[in-house]
Amino acid sequence: MMRKSLARAGAAAIVLALSTTALAACTPGEGAESGEPTNITMLVLGDKPTNGRLEAMLEKLNVKLEAEANANLDLFYVEWADWQTQYNTQLLSGDDDIDLITTATDWLFAWENAEKGAFLPLSEEMLQEYAPKTWEQVDAEGHWDLTKLDDGQIYFIPEDNFTQYTNHGFFYRGDWATAAGIPDGTITKFEEFTTYFSWVKQNQPEAYPWDVSGAKDAALIGYLQGHTDGQTIQQISAGNYYPFQTTESDPYTVTSWYMEGDELLEAAELAKEWNEIGVWREDALNYDGDTREEFYAGLSGADQHHTQTFIGSIVDNMTKKQPGSDPKFFYFGQENGNFFNDILTHGAMAVNATSKSPEKALEVYDIIRNDEEAYRLLNWGIEGTDYVITEDGKLGFPEGYDSSTDALGSNFWAGRMDDFELDRVTDAPNKQEIYDELAAAAKDYEYSTLVVNKDLIDPTLAAMGGVLSEYIPQLQYGKFDDPAAAIAEMRQKLEDAGYEDARTAIQTDMDAWADERGLK
Amino acid sequence: MVTQTSVGRHEALPTGSGKAVPTKSRKPLLRRIGDNRTLLLMCLPALAFFIVFSYAPLPGAWIAFTNFNYRDGIFGSPFVGFRNFEFLIKSGQLWLLTKNTILYNVAFIILGNILQIALAIMLNEIRSKYFKKISQAVMFLPYFISVVLIGVIAFNLLNYDTGALNALIQQTGGDPIKIYSIAGAWPIIIIICHLWQSTGYGSIVYFAAIMGIDNSLFEAAAIDGASAWQRIRYVILPSLKPTFIILLLFSLGGIMKGNFGLFWNLVGNNAALFQTTDIIETSVYRMIISQNNFTSSTAVGLYQSLFGFALVMLCNWIVRRINEDYALF
Amino acid sequence: MRYVVAAKAPRKVRLGRSDYALRGISYVTVTAFAAFCALPFVLILSASFSSESAIMRDGFGLLPKEFTFAAYEYIFRAPRQIIGSYVVTIVMTVAGTAIGLFIIAMTGYALQRKDFPFRNSISFFIYFTTLFSAGLAPTYIWVARYLELRGSYLAVFLQLLMTPWLIILMKNFVRSVPYEIIESGKVDGAGDFRIFLQLVLPMMKPALATCGLFLALGYWNEWYLSSLYLGSTVEFKPLQYHLYNIINTANALRNSVAGSNVSITELPSNTLKMASAVVATGPIVLLYPFVQRYFVSGITVGAVKG
Repeated sequence: MMRKSLARAGAAAIVLALSTTALAACTPGEGAESGEPTNITMLVLGDKPTNGRLEAMLEKLNVKLEAEANANLDLFYVEWADWQTQYNTQLLSGDDDIDLITTATDWLFAWENAEKGAFLPLSEEMLQEYAPKTWEQVDAEGHWDLTKLDDGQIYFIPEDNFTQYTNHGFFYRGDWATAAGIPDGTITKFEEFTTYFSWVKQNQPEAYPWDVSGAKDAALIGYLQGHTDGQTIQQISAGNYYPFQTTESDPYTVTSWYMEGDELLEAAELAKEWNEIGVWREDALNYDGDTREEFYAGLSGADQHHTQTFIGSIVDNMTKKQPGSDPKFFYFGQENGNFFNDILTHGAMAVNATSKSPEKALEVYDIIRNDEEAYRLLNWGIEGTDYVITEDGKLGFPEGYDSSTDALGSNFWAGRMDDFELDRVTDAPNKQEIYDELAAAAKDYEYSTLVVNKDLIDPTLAAMGGVLSEYIPQLQYGKFDDPAAAIAEMRQKLEDAGYEDARTAIQTDMDAWADERGLK
Repeated sequence: MVTQTSVGRHEALPTGSGKAVPTKSRKPLLRRIGDNRTLLLMCLPALAFFIVFSYAPLPGAWIAFTNFNYRDGIFGSPFVGFRNFEFLIKSGQLWLLTKNTILYNVAFIILGNILQIALAIMLNEIRSKYFKKISQAVMFLPYFISVVLIGVIAFNLLNYDTGALNALIQQTGGDPIKIYSIAGAWPIIIIICHLWQSTGYGSIVYFAAIMGIDNSLFEAAAIDGASAWQRIRYVILPSLKPTFIILLLFSLGGIMKGNFGLFWNLVGNNAALFQTTDIIETSVYRMIISQNNFTSSTAVGLYQSLFGFALVMLCNWIVRRINEDYALF
Repeated sequence: MRYVVAAKAPRKVRLGRSDYALRGISYVTVTAFAAFCALPFVLILSASFSSESAIMRDGFGLLPKEFTFAAYEYIFRAPRQIIGSYVVTIVMTVAGTAIGLFIIAMTGYALQRKDFPFRNSISFFIYFTTLFSAGLAPTYIWVARYLELRGSYLAVFLQLLMTPWLIILMKNFVRSVPYEIIESGKVDGAGDFRIFLQLVLPMMKPALATCGLFLALGYWNEWYLSSLYLGSTVEFKPLQYHLYNIINTANALRNSVAGSNVSITELPSNTLKMASAVVATGPIVLLYPFVQRYFVSGITVGAVKG
């Protein structure tokens, strides 16, 4: 009798096991035996396109990759909804199905992740053997030093041969600025936006002067950049914030514009004024709409992002959707020339520490970065359906193409090359002028090779990040009745979090770095 | 077979294993396992579940004492002692989170139970079968709605620029209210949302308990000429006491936890409201999202567990002293 | 309908003034509260049938403004994603509820058996997990790194199989099964498992319905574990996580209707969110009346201790 019930229990257990394996079978399985092409998966950021164009492109690209490296490429997307969580948890999971990881030192925490061991250290021999072209090009320009930790190892490959300006600023409408009485409709000073915003508020009842959503800090940073000579050290972040600066006048002393000087207060007071004017939604912090689309729809007087966005999409979209709007770009630090050329690790490719075939991954990377045919496929898609080359040699789109639904979306932002790039028909007509103007005034970021040992200050930075994420968004939206008191409070809390210890630690590294180069 | 008779027989007859100590009334562990293997096997899947998903990750809490890196893993990463706790304590954040979490839970428990009991009693008074069924079903509805939506609805109702509430206030000639900037308003909003979500289904538990009350008690009360209020006071409420205490003790176990989804979807990253709305779980989640900070967040979690554990042990001890039957263990 | 009879019996006695007063208050309050509970549903439903411009202009209302099916047309024009999500969620909900319920019932039964010497230690072993948990990061590392479940539906499916609360609820319900029934089974020489399967289980329909509903709701409403363990690794996200994405990113919204060839500014994004919500919530709401009849007699909570 007992045997029977045992058998029943056993049967139940088997049913359980079966149903779980059935479910497991639905999940993506393993591939690749020896002889078969190796599957290489590359992590990119963005929403996975669903229009089938990506798959069509990959099919073609893989024919080439199979022939040249006996490998296949697949893309893994970290989607924009909760992308930071998704990116962090993906690395934390140690998923060995991912081989190549898109990273960046200024917005994807490349240094932190390298220190935490998420990336495979790349030996020179390995790079020379499996990614010879990439090795040679980066080496010729002496850029490998930009990717080394204090152990002297290379942790990622910089996108160092691609011109772009990702300096932030405001997009606004020239027609409205002219109507607001701003000379030439061109804003040249941060404070002039007060005039512009007030005019929009009074004369464009449909629109918010600047419809913005979520916890941002742009308005503060924009002011600080234009009114101090502070230069942010991009290697050190505290949460989403970059609290450590040097100044141009004293370039080897670490300080913080959140901690020193009156400019933060001035910025906060200006923000408070804007809030009172009603520049943004009262509940901007909780609002989650697509504000760029609202700018395109004439429902917002301004939008905020960087030069590349302005040249690549704002001008084109605004010209089409708001004819005569005369879109313009005011970049932060414009008034005093306090802005930088892009660092060369704004995009970079790392090899996953747990990758099963790092060599193959490098081989594939070498091809998609350096082979023009593969490069075009990956970045632009299939000629004729995804893109066309116009008679004047520009990159254009076929008839009936709608970028909001037909985009390829391969989002390869870690190895683009100027050599292969073409001007696009959607680019701003004055693209070159803008580049020239920026190139003439921009400073070079001096500290690219500075390596900060964060082991000891990690908890401090985390604590500071917590404090900043509490105060900065509220200061930016002018939500404190008494900004001065709030800033004092914030500074006290940053002190408590160990600001001074962190500053001293970074100063030590800075001193060593400067001494080594005979800079001080 | 583990029947009464077989148990008796086992005790009477010496067994082949020879491990049994005849003088002891308790049988050796192995024997007890053998005797109860079917029942044990029946518990096995559940035990396996809790071992795999609740107990196995526990040692991982060690991460709170390290400077974690992926390469060395949880146990290989450098030990840093209590450094991850330092700022949490120094900044007073831990205190704020503890206070908020506990106060919200206390409000949820007290108001929730009062409302649930009141509704259950009233439901019991309703005669129409269809009315009762339909109203029960409707009150259960909020439990089906995802918290993600509750956040969206709340924003649509409460926001300053286009919210329905402010539209109504303006129509009646009042000044609109900046609800998303008033930290003081949110405890009320969150409590209302929580009650809205949970009262319907919670009241059904009590309603079932009222249904289970012996009819003779009601009859006796009626014969004694008790009014409706006296019936509630002397018959219904005392009968609900065991249910209430069990539910209470169970919710005490979760007093350091929170309705994360609700808080997160209502408040999100709006730091202006953190003073009154930040609870342990939202804070932990934010640390992981925006700071990639697995160590401090675990430190908070560890504190949460220890504090909650001590609290429940204390409450259980008190309950046990008052009435042992009601103690959880 | 055992409870209806039970409820009627004592009321045969004549009613006093206070009884009528209480009854009046009850009708009014219950109606008011039910209306309060239903309100957001009405808002969502009416918004989903309103025109986008009316919503932008006047906000939500109780009745649809400028009635239209536009939002639903968008959803069902490119229904692949939502159908995929439905299939995933339904499979998980059905399989998870069935398996979870069976395990919970089995455990609840064993723990309630007075002659089972380990029942107190096992009860505590289970209850302890509500008190002490490792926390988000260690659990994540364990499940994703060691069990290698990231990107697998199993990560979500398995973790929702049971909760301590449901086991204790079940255990208390088994208590109401007369012990004589178990005894009689034993006398007939049935094994413990057979007693459970053939004698006890059939008597537990209300408890199974109750716990089953809780389990099913857990699966149906799940978005959080999906966001942690699935992210974008799976082609079809569980329904509520899909909805979460739609609500939180304009891009997901655009992708959800991709192929319908509209740019985002022309999309009725507010009404589309609400229509997606209706589509994602509707079916489980419709399921409720079928479970309800078991419901009231189901949830009786006795003592937690054995």
